[in-house]
Amino acid sequence: MNASLNLLIGLAMGLNLLALGSSRLPSLIRAMSLQGVVLGVMPLLLEQGADWRVGLVALATVVGKGVVIPSLLRRAMRAAHIDREMEPFIGFVPSLLLGAAGTIAAVALARALPLLPEHQGLLLVPGSIASVLTGFILLIGRAKAISQVCGYLILENGIYLFGLLLIHSTPLLVESGILLDLTVGVFVIGIIVDRIQRAFDSLDTRKLTVLRE
Amino acid sequence: MTPGPLLSVAGVVLLLGLVVGPGRPQLWRILTLCGVAIGMGAAVRVLSGGGDWEWRSGFPLGGEAMHLRLDGVSALFLVLVCTVGGGGCVYGGEYWSDHHYPASAPRGRAWWNALLVSLGWVLLSANGLHFLLGWELFTVSAYFLITLDRQRLQVRAAGWLYLVASHTGTVCLFAFFALLAARTGSWDLGPLRGQAGLSSLFWLALLGFGVKAGLFPLHVWLPSAHANAPSHVSAILSGVALKMGVYGIVRFSGWLPVPAASGWVVIGLGSVSALLGIAFSVAQNDFKRMLAYCSVENVGIIFIGVGGAMLAVSHGDAPWGRLAMAGALLHVWNHGAFKSLLFLGAGSVLHAAGTREMSRLGGLWPRMPWTAGLFVLGSVAASGLPPLNGLVSEWLIYLGLFDAVAGRGPAGWAALPAILALATAGALALVGFVKTGALIFLGAPRTRAVARADECGWGMRVPMLALAAVCLAIGLAPVLFWPAVSRAVDAWHPAWATRESPAPLATLGLFQATLGILVATAAAALWYRAKSRGGRRAPTWDCGFRAPTARMQYTAASFAGITAGWFDWILQPMLRWRRPRGLFPTGAFRRESVPETVLERVISPVAAGVLRVSTAVRRLQHGRLQSYILYLVTGLLGLGVLVLLEGAP
Repeated sequence: MNASLNLLIGLAMGLNLLALGSSRLPSLIRAMSLQGVVLGVMPLLLEQGADWRVGLVALATVVGKGVVIPSLLRRAMRAAHIDREMEPFIGFVPSLLLGAAGTIAAVALARALPLLPEHQGLLLVPGSIASVLTGFILLIGRAKAISQVCGYLILENGIYLFGLLLIHSTPLLVESGILLDLTVGVFVIGIIVDRIQRAFDSLDTRKLTVLRE
Repeated sequence: MTPGPLLSVAGVVLLLGLVVGPGRPQLWRILTLCGVAIGMGAAVRVLSGGGDWEWRSGFPLGGEAMHLRLDGVSALFLVLVCTVGGGGCVYGGEYWSDHHYPASAPRGRAWWNALLVSLGWVLLSANGLHFLLGWELFTVSAYFLITLDRQRLQVRAAGWLYLVASHTGTVCLFAFFALLAARTGSWDLGPLRGQAGLSSLFWLALLGFGVKAGLFPLHVWLPSAHANAPSHVSAILSGVALKMGVYGIVRFSGWLPVPAASGWVVIGLGSVSALLGIAFSVAQNDFKRMLAYCSVENVGIIFIGVGGAMLAVSHGDAPWGRLAMAGALLHVWNHGAFKSLLFLGAGSVLHAAGTREMSRLGGLWPRMPWTAGLFVLGSVAASGLPPLNGLVSEWLIYLGLFDAVAGRGPAGWAALPAILALATAGALALVGFVKTGALIFLGAPRTRAVARADECGWGMRVPMLALAAVCLAIGLAPVLFWPAVSRAVDAWHPAWATRESPAPLATLGLFQATLGILVATAAAALWYRAKSRGGRRAPTWDCGFRAPTARMQYTAASFAGITAGWFDWILQPMLRWRRPRGLFPTGAFRRESVPETVLERVISPVAAGVLRVSTAVRRLQHGRLQSYILYLVTGLLGLGVLVLLEGAP
């Protein structure tokens, strides 16, 4: 069981790197949504006797992150007529290198952390830290609003992975609250993207600096 | 009637004046005069031996129960507030009339009453929180009065400087009252001499109140604010508002224990203020700035007295401390009276001639005899000459300090330099006032506008006459005012309570009265002689020239050149000139101006440095989300590393 879980987490970590390396927005969104699906399946593997609550969480995650959010993003992307990250602050190769370094550091760090015995053999903690770092690199290194949304979602995936450690003690309500927040957040950003596009004729967040006093 | 009902009626009447004032000037004047008269009644009652008034109520204001208190010290200051408040209100009616200033005059009337009420509130409140509320209200109303004529850039700059400086002081006061409340467990104020742990708080109070009082290095806001405010506002600022700083120091050096060094520091600061204040005053060309610096000097004199008294208390209640304190408190009255008179006179000159530069005035005596006479009377008082009031209070301080020196105690080492500073300051004040009086009123008019100047009306003359009468009364009959001052000193330090007036005071009164009568008789005789004989009239400054021009007269800078030269090290005058060259020289000039040294050479560079650093730091706030997230991540990683390092060993 641990082996298959670790495999999935490894897959998610690989998707992190894919997200960092892709310059086209559709492939970035695809990597992000695939990661969401992978993450959504994990609770079922983690839990032996599949509880209906856990099933619900898994279903909601898969639908939310794998279908709803990506379709919202694709729609925003089409509305804004862009499909490429043209001028990233941090180039694609440096981002990949940073992401790889972050992943290695996360694995090293996880060894140093005092974990419960049943979590010792799992990649949950390094996977979570690596995803958070990837999210930050995307947030810092990309100029287009949609790439930043993807960064934000991957960051959230990292937090979700960490949350899996506590799946028994986290109430369903909290879990669904987080998911709802996220959907609303993406929704709002979709609207903002549209507004930025209309106001500045571009999705470059650098142009937002002219709005300061 | 006890002071309580009187004070509440006065407060209500003044607030009513505040409400109706903007629309109805006549009614406002009547209400304000009634209010200050009633308030004065309450203060006089306490000072004439009616007993202190204290009132506590369960009614909470800002979460604290009301506690008001009127004792000798606060009553003495309340009398001053009421006198100048009433005088300025009458004067302002003509000087800052609705006709000339339709926009700002109504506003000015409302703020005037707000200022009076808040000053009264500060004097009455015996609760730290309420004191601060009143103090802030007083600062803000004074700001709006200073900037009445806010179309002018200089006025706005002066108001801004005043506001910033005042709030620097208020920050210290906030710390002072908050720490006091934290250490005593209550915001209530009262005599707490027994608690030795509170003594270090005095330094905060000295800083906070020192800014308001205009002690030397803290006076930077004072010259520009007093020079640019309307003159009746300058009068109340200089005559009364500065004294609130003095009140704070006197009040809390009486109620709280003070550190051992405080007396030395206060007398030292007083001496420095007296000497350097008057040095700056002598070098000014703007006569309102000159008067403002002269206020720094007089506050210094008051602080010499207060510091002397504090030294006397810390050296075993020496009796000379009583004289020094009485002199200081009487000088609060005297300076309030003669400086208000001088500022009102300056306002009259400004009103008539339209300039504050002495070097553009001249020859105003025949054109404005009332203003000239009253200004000179005020100058005589301010220079501490007999037979007027300035001498009486300075002389009491001298007596106290001489006794200190004669006592051969350690306090003598502070008293001796203070005497020298006081004497030098007095001599320099005379130079300054001779210069100001001579340049404004004597000689020939230097510009055409001055030649056409007219005397002010009775609305401005009456308040000046009233203030001059106060100066004369205290000067000629000091014994009459002794009981009031003595009660205030008793309230400051109850251990010194005694009723007898010092013997030399009666002698001084007699001497002053005789001299006054002699001067008056001589003046009358001269006037009669000139009137009956006619005499020959010639232009002033004729000096045998065929065609003298007004520009041949002394300028302000040349008159004070030698005296100001002694203080070049601190005045740092800025001089630009070109010598006349050749047989038929053209285009020679000489410009000299004295900057506010502390402001321009110390505070401005420091402020510019702070501004540069802030501008550099502000570049971090550029509006790019990406970098903000980077700051966040860096901060988080830094914290993580710190935690790891903490946990490692």
